[in-house]
Amino acid sequence: MTAAVEFSGVSRHFGTASAPVKAVDGVDLTIAEGSFFAMLGPSGSGKTTCLRLISGFEKPTGGVIRIFGQDVSDIPPNRRNVNTVFQDYALFPHMNVRDNVAYGLMVKGVDRRSRNDRAEEMLSLVKLDGYADRKPGQLSGGQRQRVALARALVNEPRVLLLDEPLGALDLKLREAMQDELKALQTRLGITFVFVTHDQGEALSMADSLAVFNEGKIAQIGTPADIYARPRTRFVADFVGSSNVLTPEVTRAFGGPAKWSSLRPEALRLTAADGVALAGQVTAIRYLGAGSRVSVALPGSEIALLVPAGEALPEQGATVGLAFDPAALHIMDEA
Amino acid sequence: MTDAPAILPERGLGDRLTALFWRHPRLLLAVLLTPPLLWLGVVYLGSLFALLLQSFYSIDEFSGMVKEEFTLKTYAELFRAQNLDIILRTLLMSAAVTIGCAVIAFPIAYYAARFAKGKWKAVFYLGVMLPLWSSYLVKVYAWKLILAKEGIITWAAEGVGLSMILNAILAIPGIGGNSLSTSPMGTFIVFVYVWLPYMILPMQASLERVPTSMLEASADLGASRAQTFRTVILPLAMPGVIAGSIFTFSLTMGDYIIPQIVGTSARFIGLAVYQLQGTAGNIPLAAAFAVVPILIMLVYLTIAKRKGAFDAL
Amino acid sequence: MNKKTLKLTATTAIALVSAMSPALAQMTEVGPGEGALSIVAWAGYVERGETDPAFDWVTKFEEASGCKVSVKTANTSDEMVALMNEGGFDLVTASGDASLRLIAGGRVQEINKDLIPSWSTIDPRLQDAPWHTVDGKHYGVPYMWGPNVLMYNTEVFKEAPTSWNVVFEEQTLPDGASNKGRVQAYDGPIHIADAAQYLMFHKPELGITSPYELNEDQYKAALDLLRGQRELVGRYWHDAFIQIDDFKNEGVVASGSWPFQVNLLKAGGAPVASVIPQEGVTGWADTTMLHVDSEHPNCAYMWFEHQLSSNLQSDLSVWFGANPSVPAACTDGRGMQTAEGCTTNGLDDFDKVRFWTTPVADCSQGEDTCVPYYRWVSDYIGVIGGR
Repeated sequence: MTAAVEFSGVSRHFGTASAPVKAVDGVDLTIAEGSFFAMLGPSGSGKTTCLRLISGFEKPTGGVIRIFGQDVSDIPPNRRNVNTVFQDYALFPHMNVRDNVAYGLMVKGVDRRSRNDRAEEMLSLVKLDGYADRKPGQLSGGQRQRVALARALVNEPRVLLLDEPLGALDLKLREAMQDELKALQTRLGITFVFVTHDQGEALSMADSLAVFNEGKIAQIGTPADIYARPRTRFVADFVGSSNVLTPEVTRAFGGPAKWSSLRPEALRLTAADGVALAGQVTAIRYLGAGSRVSVALPGSEIALLVPAGEALPEQGATVGLAFDPAALHIMDEA
Repeated sequence: MTDAPAILPERGLGDRLTALFWRHPRLLLAVLLTPPLLWLGVVYLGSLFALLLQSFYSIDEFSGMVKEEFTLKTYAELFRAQNLDIILRTLLMSAAVTIGCAVIAFPIAYYAARFAKGKWKAVFYLGVMLPLWSSYLVKVYAWKLILAKEGIITWAAEGVGLSMILNAILAIPGIGGNSLSTSPMGTFIVFVYVWLPYMILPMQASLERVPTSMLEASADLGASRAQTFRTVILPLAMPGVIAGSIFTFSLTMGDYIIPQIVGTSARFIGLAVYQLQGTAGNIPLAAAFAVVPILIMLVYLTIAKRKGAFDAL
Repeated sequence: MNKKTLKLTATTAIALVSAMSPALAQMTEVGPGEGALSIVAWAGYVERGETDPAFDWVTKFEEASGCKVSVKTANTSDEMVALMNEGGFDLVTASGDASLRLIAGGRVQEINKDLIPSWSTIDPRLQDAPWHTVDGKHYGVPYMWGPNVLMYNTEVFKEAPTSWNVVFEEQTLPDGASNKGRVQAYDGPIHIADAAQYLMFHKPELGITSPYELNEDQYKAALDLLRGQRELVGRYWHDAFIQIDDFKNEGVVASGSWPFQVNLLKAGGAPVASVIPQEGVTGWADTTMLHVDSEHPNCAYMWFEHQLSSNLQSDLSVWFGANPSVPAACTDGRGMQTAEGCTTNGLDDFDKVRFWTTPVADCSQGEDTCVPYYRWVSDYIGVIGGR
């Protein structure tokens, strides 16, 4: 299978040569055709810049970007067969929904009748039949999001870029849209590249994902892989809610003197007597499906998940900890 | 628990007023709006009404005394050939000045809105506002000297061998003349210079409100720069362009200083009003002339609205 | 304004009884001064030594009479008429194209010349001049007069031009270049009279007897001449200082002008001179007139006497390049003027000067046969507009 998007040593530095701001720094990346690819990272990590490098709104200061094998270094955005759903949707306020959706066809010179028909089809695809004559200002956030999606898909791009598309939606709507986006991607078979700072969203939707940190890719892989086997402390910390153990604490847990991660659900509470790992309960947080209990150990604080229905300790009580040794993941790097 | 009271003591007049306005929100609005509304209603509308009234009077042609009887005779005078000339000439000049200002202002406003940051933004504002700080008359007299037959432009054109081009421009009938300073072209140049800031500032404000992502979205969907300009930037900047054009258009229509100093002495509405009212004492005809720009602006705004210029507001 | 607006609003529907008040009976004696006097005057006409300390004919009057003088400057005759119609002024130095309008409009009152001891010293040719005397009644006291000369550039014209044709007909000037774009004309409807005067000399078959009394044919011929002149004139002059600038920077080499500009340009070292061409010249003869509702008539009568008997006539004629209405002022040493100076200003050319006067429909050619002034106004706007 061809790579839909390929980065080879791509950098994007801002500022002066003496004090560069390395927004993207030497990134190598391959996005398989037809995949749902997520770029995950905190703000300022370079994920959005990477997306803008693909669409052409940023030019790399180093390296080569290929889209379906073709070097796009000199190709302006309007000639790249990729389309973007913008974070703020960027709908044209002076056009109605139909004209917004048909915009990509209009600039290509498609006649009004055909492009209006096609716009109606796209609106139907995103379940907005009957909204064609409204202005963007008359729509709710979720509806605008759908219009932006329909507008970006009308040109039948080979890659669809989504920049935090669900960020402005409330939780319930966001979850519904996650399902819909996933279903849409499966149905259309287009490569989706999705930027988010929400690890839950990335893990649940992506086929594979890249975790960004300070302009570099910290880890790339499938969601399961990254969740279970974070390669660095940063990934472990950022993806999921794993306990990150210092080399000393890892040794106390029976591992080598290296950084490691241990997922909260791999830990259990035991009686405190005669157990190597014991400490005081410092906080209990109710999560619905269970409770997250924080226990202070010498040199670290460990969180564990107590399923609903099981007995909870008192705040300040001394408890023992047991765990599945196989779940202790030793990380390659600090 | 503490002994702090639930209600804090009143500290004086400020607190009492705050409470009053909090209990009666409309009172504050009334206090704030009454002076400007009085000003607008009495001074502005009042004088406008007096003007309208005058335009329905006529003047005794010999003694120059105003006859305070209702008549449409004064309006009929507007349709005399030489008065129609004045209206048409003013209209053409205002339109040309507005277009000239818009064309020159756009790149400046676009640069300022999109690219100028920090220090350069300050430089921009300074550059645009600076001409407004010096007296209007000083600027116009300065331009008279710049454009004079023995002025800087002629001198510079001779220096770089462009006299041919200057003479060719001055030879164009209708806009040319003996020198830039005595041609309609010169009047146009000075008008554009003097009113340019009034076009740049609203344009820049409206361009600043167009998010970058809007332009990126357009390019992303396949639009060329020209298409983006036509279908996104221009419609979104239109309220600013219209606001600016209202300034340049109406300021040109009302001006009576520039055509007096630079140009062919041919009358414009402002100059006609000035002379009719100030020197000829023909207040009714001056009033009728003054009504013309008001009507033209109303027509202009109606057309602009029909064309959807305010859709992006 | 407010009072006026109220009045207008109250009377919109009803026709107002004529606003012209009947002329008051003339004064019979001059009482003590009222302490103030306001004058509408041409620029430079009422000097109190502020522009140049040597030229002051107000301070002494104020000291002697106790009347504090205030001046409102006007630039055109039309403006003077407008100001007097507004009211609130005592005196106006009206030219002949304004004075009759003021009299007809009932804005000025008859003068009792017996109350002015120096009346007899006035040039006899001015004492009963038609621009201030109607039906034997006097409505003003002559102030100053002067010709509208032809100013020319002495580098272009080595010899003084002899005819106004340099500003009326396209021609090659002595320096070899066309006069197109290098001449100017006055930006006021009264300039039609200059054209008529030119035709009076060159086209006697038109039968023009006075440039201010034109029948339809004569008027049309004058307008045609002015339409031709429009092609030659880059910009008409209206403000004396703009004309001065145009002679310096705009390449203007000939124009009708006032001695005032000629003197200022000469003083600045510019190569200009002036001449009275063979066709004769138009000119202004200004008359001090008293507003019908004047609140300070005693001060006004004191001023009348002052303007005839003090240094005013002599010094003003030097200052403005004009001629005194009292010929003795040229020679009796009451001020700076001399006999030579008066000759330079055109005192001896009185007969060649046709003084500005307001054109009226009923003229010497018959009732309702001449083109009245209001048509001069609108047609001249048309001519300047290229129509």
